[in-house]
This record gives sequence, structure tokens and C-alpha cells, in this order.
Amino acid sequence: MKAEPTQKRKELSRRTFLRSSGAAGMAAVLSGTGRLFAAGSEKIRVGLIGCGGRGTYDTTNCLNSAENVELVAMGDLFKDRLGRCLGMLRERLPDKVSVTEDTCFEGWDAYKKVVACDNVDLVILTEPPYFRPGHLKAAVEAGKHVFMEKPVAVDPVGVRSVIASSELADQKKLTIVAGTQSRRMAHLVEGMKRIHNGDIGEILAGQCVRMGGGMLTWSQATKQRHPGWSDMEWQLRRWLFLTWLSGDFIVEMHVHNLDRMNWALDAHPVQCIGLGGRQARTGPEYGNIYDHIAVEYEYPDGVRIGYMGAQIDKATVRQDARVVGTKGRAYAHEGDFIIEGAKPFRYDGPSPSPVIKQHADQIAAIRAGERLNEGKRIAESTMTCIMGRMSAYTGRALKWDWAMNASELDLSPAEHEFGDLPMRPVATPGETRLI
Amino acid sequence: MKTTVAMSLTALAPGTSRMFAAGSDRLRIGLSGCGGRGTGAVKDCINSSRGVELVAMGDLFEDRVANSLKDLRKDVPKNVKVTRDTCFAGFDAYEKVIASDIDLVILATPPHFRPMQLKAAIEAGKHVFMEKPVGVDPVGIRSVIASSALARQKGLAIVAGTQRHHQAHYIEILKRIHDDHVGRIVGGQIYWNGGKMLGYWPWYEREPGMSDMQWQCRNWPWFTWLSGDHIVEQHVHNIDVMNWAIGAHPVQCLGMGGRQVRKLGNIFDHFAVEFEYPDGVRVMSMCRQMEGCTNNVSERVAGTKGRSYTDSSIGYIEGPNAYRYDGPNPNPYVQEHADLIAGIRKGEPLNEGKRVAESTMAAIMGRMSAYTGRALKWDWAMNASKLDLKPPKYEFGDLPDPPVAVPGKTMLI
Repeated sequence: MKAEPTQKRKELSRRTFLRSSGAAGMAAVLSGTGRLFAAGSEKIRVGLIGCGGRGTYDTTNCLNSAENVELVAMGDLFKDRLGRCLGMLRERLPDKVSVTEDTCFEGWDAYKKVVACDNVDLVILTEPPYFRPGHLKAAVEAGKHVFMEKPVAVDPVGVRSVIASSELADQKKLTIVAGTQSRRMAHLVEGMKRIHNGDIGEILAGQCVRMGGGMLTWSQATKQRHPGWSDMEWQLRRWLFLTWLSGDFIVEMHVHNLDRMNWALDAHPVQCIGLGGRQARTGPEYGNIYDHIAVEYEYPDGVRIGYMGAQIDKATVRQDARVVGTKGRAYAHEGDFIIEGAKPFRYDGPSPSPVIKQHADQIAAIRAGERLNEGKRIAESTMTCIMGRMSAYTGRALKWDWAMNASELDLSPAEHEFGDLPMRPVATPGETRLI
Repeated sequence: MKTTVAMSLTALAPGTSRMFAAGSDRLRIGLSGCGGRGTGAVKDCINSSRGVELVAMGDLFEDRVANSLKDLRKDVPKNVKVTRDTCFAGFDAYEKVIASDIDLVILATPPHFRPMQLKAAIEAGKHVFMEKPVGVDPVGIRSVIASSALARQKGLAIVAGTQRHHQAHYIEILKRIHDDHVGRIVGGQIYWNGGKMLGYWPWYEREPGMSDMQWQCRNWPWFTWLSGDHIVEQHVHNIDVMNWAIGAHPVQCLGMGGRQVRKLGNIFDHFAVEFEYPDGVRVMSMCRQMEGCTNNVSERVAGTKGRSYTDSSIGYIEGPNAYRYDGPNPNPYVQEHADLIAGIRKGEPLNEGKRVAESTMAAIMGRMSAYTGRALKWDWAMNASKLDLKPPKYEFGDLPDPPVAVPGKTMLI
């Protein structure tokens, strides 16, 4: 169901009217606020920024999550990625993709062009994490609702920006949903509710472990540097393995696991001490990230959580989280939630797909005009991981307040352009500076 | 009274060393391993009790014997009765020390040699003070446990250089933990995060004419087969305290580590291990040897009613049974010898062999897990692992540089 341009304009003007009359003073103060949706099933138009595998996946889920959702614009740094993503989406969801040549953008300012599309209501941000803070800011300032993938930054400067943008989104009555689908897994929702109800008593300790493979086969096509690629292009193509782009694996992947600990404890850590290194995944094609990191996180009241993460092939694979309280223990696994102790529990209810639900919830909230803003929460979970990485890289114990408020760490390159960019060295504890 | 008891014990256990009727008796000691720790341990032993005399010394290297002897003659001249005939060098020096007319032997060679030397000492009927750690691999640990059992049969004392067990504030805090002052233990943290050790541990550049074996033995702390790596060599102290607090050894572990800064030898420079004790109690261990990082050498026990904190100088409990030790704290390095000798003289020999073997084994298990990237069970490591780091021959000759472990590649043996 493609809407004619004239029809779109009509709808827009009607909404502008609604906004200025109905939504009262707020809209007048805050220009660029997202349009209001009168009822139930009005069309929501989506713009995608970051057309890799995750962007394609999230867009597919978003378009499938509710009626009358349509992809109208796309942007990516690379033309080949745009083309591949568009081809796949058109094949999967021909009725829901109305992207034209004019609404397909490539290059460094592609995101600006997507958020500048008047008819885009919601943007999906799935470029490498480094870009998230800047893209979120642009999207919220342009009055767009945002679905953004985790993690949402790679350094404290970025985290602060995300928190500011999230606050602005609240003022503008925009929704932000972050791709931490754990928060919508039924077994975790039910289990966490019990922890928060005191079913395991006062929390005293916990563990969060994610040991998995080395990701060595990730993006095989870019493993060998192509002759025509600049440093910048090569790093962007291999973004997973560059700290400035991905945040390292503790941030990029294990934010899910540490987000669950923050959820269980209903807090973020107050300090941490970490260690780590790169012992098995040492080839230059794996950039400068570590392959193992362990962090002791101290939460309020001296509760210490042990985190261990690794990406090493042919090692033990383990992924679990556990919280120990005065009256019992709770185990939160990928598909299971178990409480042992005074009030035993094991979730055995249905498990609807959390990756569809996160989009469905957002679209329902947009249509109902309800607040749904996960920005600050995901920013804090991202910061939890960043702080652990900073401690492991430098060998220094860190306080949350310092990292959040005073750290000046900003991993941005000097220029956003395809050119020379020497790879930053692998961090060396005791030598890598705490900034 | 004591005589009769002692008499019957002696009769039952052939080869048992002589018993001591009164505190004034001479106690003749021998030293195997004449480095800094060995020399220090002799001084501590001599200063701990009356009547201690050093009568034999041995080391792999002659110069170490000479240096140690010079130092001892300066500091404790009256108690050094060593002659040229009772000074030994070479791979069999320890056998000669043990064969000397001694009651007690101090074993302070690199940890690799502990199991075989302990075995020889106990078989020869000598009391033993041995430095921690007491092995570098499961094969060695099994030997130490067997020797400790034999020592018990023979009425011989074994004290291990885990001096926290003889340190007043540790004893008081651990007593309170065992008296339920922190409630049921549900978690804990242990750390040895410190400096790079270069300057404290020796490092000798390879000189012309020096064999591989000589070079590696001179630089023993930096080689896993000799020291066990720093998680074993150093962090064993903190693991030992956690075993003490919980009253058990770990049942399984998962470790990680690597060397991010260090270039010497083949040991890692950092480890993190999750040790799981009985009833699912998990303890996080971290140890690191790097400059310019945040240091912390301590133990923390979290219970349902409170928490304890201990380090080498203080100990306290937080919670409803809050407590802080502020009594006297005699030098534990001397106290451990005083306790050892008092036990021998009373005919109630202490035997810490199995306990320190288990603490060492926990550390070895953590290292094995970190080196291989594999989760490990205690029962497997203790009973089935065939890891044996012995070189093919004990002689000064060729011995290729051992590789640095790579998790996922280094085999679990």
C-alpha cells in the first residue's frame, strides 16, 4: 500500500493542525516534534540508517511487527550495503518497502538525509555503535522516533550525548526503544519481577558470564584488505574489531548480559576493576580489540558482581547470569529463569519473540501517544560496559561518577572521511592512559 | 609421660626423626634452596625458637649457596654450623642435605622441585618446613598429598609457608567466620593485583656457555614449569585464605588470562578465575603483575549476615557482628616456624601438607583453565589430569624455550 505523495502531504498538514491545536503549548515550544497519531493504525513510515545485517534484520522485524508500517528511506556509508539490503527487503516485504532512488542515501551524511525526510516518522539506527550518539541526536532534533540497536556509544562523551538526546526526546514526546531484547523476554520479565519483589531476599552477590567463539568468520569478504580501500574504509568494513567503532566485545555484545545485571539490581555499578587482553585472536584482521575481559563490578551497598567475557574459539562456551540473595538464588539464562530457595520459581509460560515485540511495543506507543523511552537506561548499561573496558585497558580501578561525569575519553577520529587513519594500538594496561 | 608416648610412636614408625623431650634441645636444620626466600626462612626459623642450628645447605648453583651462607654468617653467626662438607650444589644437592644429620629441612627451591624433595625428606624421616606453592602440576600435587599422609604416619611435622595461617588478625577473623559472624558464605573475592615483579624476581640475561636448563632455572619465576606461573606462585596465598574461610576447596573453575605487557619467560601477566565451591558458592579471583595499575592484595568474604575483609596488615568484619582486629601482630614469617618447632617439641607435629597441596591445586586448576580456555572440575584435575611439567632430564643441557599458552589451542592434559 503505497501512499501517493499528495496524500502524504495532506496527512502531514492535518497532523500539523492536530499538533498545534490538540497537543497544546509543548509543540509550539519544541519545533520538530514528531507528528501525533490520531488513532490505532495510521501509517508509520520508517527510515533505516545502517544497512548491514542487523539493520536488515531489525527493519524486517519492525515492518512485520504491526500493520501499516512502511520503509520509505535508507542510508549507509557504502553503496554496496544499501543495494544488498534494499534488494533483500524488497524481496521479503515487497508491499512494505517504498524506498525510491531519491530516498536512498550513501556517504557520511546519509543519516542527515534520512532524518531530513519529512515523511519519516521513525528511524532505525543500526550503524556501528560509534555513530549512534551523533545519529540519535540528529534524529531526535529532527523530531523522529528512534529504534536504536545496542550498544549506544563507545565512550563516555558519546554516552553523555545519548542521555542528553534521550532527555530531549522526552520533552518532544518522542519514543526511543533500544535493541536490548532481553527486556522483553517473558521469562526474564517474570523472573526479574520476583527478584524485585524480594523473593531471593536482599541481593549479596552475582555473576555474569559470556564466553563464546572468536567471531573469526565474521564478514569473510572483508578479511583481506582490498587494494583500493583507504585505512578508514578498511576499519569501517571491519568495524566489529576496532574499539573506536564497536566499543570492543564487552560493549558491543556483552551489553546484553550486563544490562541484565543492572536490571536485576535495579542500579548501575558505582565502581569497577577490570583486566583483560588479547591472547588468541591476535591477527591484524581482528583490529585492536581484546579477546578476554574480566571485571568486578561493585553496585550500591558493596554488592559485587563478577563478569567474565571472552571471544575465543575452541574454549568453553558459557552464557549465564546469577544473582545471590539472602533467601535464594536466581539464574537468568538465555531461555530459562530459575529461582532456588525460599520461593522457588521456574518460568514455563509462553515466550513470544522479543525481537518482534520491541518494535510492536514502540509502534503501539507511538500510535497511542504514550511515553516509551529507553534511552537513559541503555546509555547506562552501555556505560557499565565502557567503564569495564576502560578499566581493563588501563589496569585502573574506576568510579562510575568519574567515568560518567569527568572522563574525557572520545574515540572519534580527526576526520570523518575516507583517508589515512593509522590503527590505534592494542591497549596495554599500565601504559594506556586513563582519559 | 611424653617419653612413653613418643617411644611407642617411634617404635611404630621406622625412620621417624627423633623426638624432643624438652625445649632446650638442639634442633638441627638443613636448607634446600638458598635463594632469598630460603635464606630468609632460615633466619626466621633460627629467630623463632631456641636451639636451632643450620648444619647443611644445598642449591642447584654453588654461588647461591655461598651468598646465602655469607648472609647467614653475618646475621645469625652463632647458629650457623655449616661446614664445607655440608654445603652441596647440583641437582642432587637436596638428597645430600636430607642425608645429613638434620632433624628438619627447609624446602625453598623453585616450586617445581617441591614434590620430589618433600618425598625424599619424609622418606628420610625429616620434619619439613616448605615454602608455598608446593607443586606446579597435578602429578606433583598428588605426590605431595601422598608424602603428607606418610608424614602423618611417621609423626613428622610439615608446615607450609602460608604464613597467614600463623598471623594473629587472620586467625581471629577466620575464627569469627567459622563461628557464623558473617552468616552463611555466599560469595567472595580474592586478589593479588600487584607490580611486574622484575627487580624483585631475578632476571639473568643468557650468557655465553650458559645452557638452556641453567638459564631457565636461574630465571625460574618466569617459567611455568618451574614456578607454576604467578597465580600459583603468589596468588596461592589468597586462594588458600578463601579455602580456609569456606572450609573446602573449589569443585570447579573457569579461568581466563594472558600476557599483555610481559615479555619474559612464558608465564602470563594476568588471570581472572571464577572458583565454584560446594553448594554453588562462587568466588572471583583476580591476579595481575603489571606496573602502573591499581593494586590490591586482599580477600573479601560475603555472607548472609555480613562481610569480612582481610589483607596482610588488617582484618575486619562488617555487619551486625562488626569487628576489627587491633591486637598484637607478631611477624607471621617467624611465627610459622615457632609453631612448627613448638609442635615438634611437644610431640604434636603440625601437618599442613594436604591443606597447602589443595590450595596449590586450586591455583593450578585456575591456571590450567586460563591456559586452555576450558572449564575444569576439581575431581578431574585432581584425579585424572596427567599434566606433568617435568623436563626430560635434570641436567644442564638443551631445553627449548617453552611456548606461551594460547587458550583454545593449548591442550588440556
